[in-house]
Amino acid sequence: MHAEERYSDEEPPSMLWGLDPIYSAFARLYIKDILEMKESCQVPGIFFYKLHPIFKVDVLGTVVCKREREDFFCYGVDDGTGVINCLCWKDEQWKDHSAPVDGSKSQVPSRGGFNPAEQLKKLLHSQRCSSHLDIGDLLRVRGPVKMSRGQREIMASTYYKVSDPVLAVQISWMLEVPQLYRKFYDKPFQFPSSVQGSNAADADGDSASSSLLGRATRLLKDFLQDGDSRRWKGLQEKAPTTSWSCWTPWSPGPLPKPRHRRSGLIITSCFITENQDPAATPSATPSAAKRLHALSREALQLLQDEGRVFRRVISPDQVTENDRELHRATRDVIREDCKRAKYSEKGCHVLHILSGVRLRYSRNVSKAVIELVLRRLECNSEIISTSDNHYAVL
Amino acid sequence: MLPAPGVFHFPWEISSGAIQEGTTVRTFGRLRHYQPADSRATLSSHYAATQHQVVVHTGFVEPFHPILEAQYVVLGELEITEGDGLMVRARVLNCVDGVDLAILQSAINEQRRYFRDRGGNDIQQPPP
Repeated sequence: MHAEERYSDEEPPSMLWGLDPIYSAFARLYIKDILEMKESCQVPGIFFYKLHPIFKVDVLGTVVCKREREDFFCYGVDDGTGVINCLCWKDEQWKDHSAPVDGSKSQVPSRGGFNPAEQLKKLLHSQRCSSHLDIGDLLRVRGPVKMSRGQREIMASTYYKVSDPVLAVQISWMLEVPQLYRKFYDKPFQFPSSVQGSNAADADGDSASSSLLGRATRLLKDFLQDGDSRRWKGLQEKAPTTSWSCWTPWSPGPLPKPRHRRSGLIITSCFITENQDPAATPSATPSAAKRLHALSREALQLLQDEGRVFRRVISPDQVTENDRELHRATRDVIREDCKRAKYSEKGCHVLHILSGVRLRYSRNVSKAVIELVLRRLECNSEIISTSDNHYAVL
Repeated sequence: MLPAPGVFHFPWEISSGAIQEGTTVRTFGRLRHYQPADSRATLSSHYAATQHQVVVHTGFVEPFHPILEAQYVVLGELEITEGDGLMVRARVLNCVDGVDLAILQSAINEQRRYFRDRGGNDIQQPPP
């Protein structure tokens, strides 16, 4: 409750406005709301309707007053809830053709042939008609809301006269707008919890945990990429089995498999060293440690599914697809098999390479891993792809 | 200076006298009579087994080609005159013959319901 109250009178930071889809849409608000919505204290010209940042609006209403200036019209538009001025610029092209273009006064049609000049005239005429309104006409206008002489007005980016002889357009508008309000404008926009900084850590629930998992996976991926798998191995070597606790200031609960525990701990320690946030360290609470462990396992599983990480049988460690040995084994498989007549022309198929690598290197290499490795080798120009799913050594 | 918004009201709400003088209203009805000499038109509509009449002063919208028995929408200020009683001084008078009155009524009610549900009942609504 308290958090809600705090948010209800505070506008969201301008960095996050773009995440709200209403910000980049032409909001179909009632004119009454356009006149009453609060202006942003961060950026003038942006308004807030129930915490939705509003920049551009879309309005349909009856013209009830009209002023003409040299280069623009100013129409007062009434939609039944309020009246607002709309500044509609005159089109340059028909300012030049100041002579009245009369559609009825067309020349003799050239025997049914297509006369571009006449068609253009007709087009100009209809354009002019739809941009020239009188009191009582229906106007549809879209554009940003501006302040002018202390009053709000719509600076039309598009406007046209709506032909509505049986009120069908107005009726459908009147039926549609309340729905839009109920479904979108009146509902507060939930910013993704990952962008709300510290709030994500506090929040429980699926979205929070999934964003945490996403962050953990990203962190792990960065760690693997910039440090190479060597650093990872180095980490393991540096930390002898007896002194795991030096990486982890808390004592983990009993875990089923010691080798899971090893790799898991390295990763959790990597989270902590990367985070550099002492507050985030769940000191001395076994449940927090368990949670962290579970999180790292989940993140690893995700990476495994993607093919970025796999588990070797011979050594219990997780190995990344950056692993040099794996690269060498893959290259060797392709090189040797390409010498055989069967593959010399077309290259080796991915599945063939996979089975070769499994035999030679590790049974646990998945197809996703081998695909990533092949892509990387190809990027390094060590192998080329001869056709779809086939590879050969240069 | 912009005029007040013309809020939709049903003709029977106007003829019942529930709306204050000076209010800007928007309403509809079938054109029954037109007296150009007095700039006076009468719109009527049928509701709950009764004919409801709204007198419209057409001084501001003339010249105007009356189509008798056609549906019109009028927007203007409500006035009380000595001879006619309640009268709408029209600023806009549009012929909308062919309009589906049932859908129009439901659209007006839908909009009212939305504002009622929203709570801040600041847009002027007639009593239910």
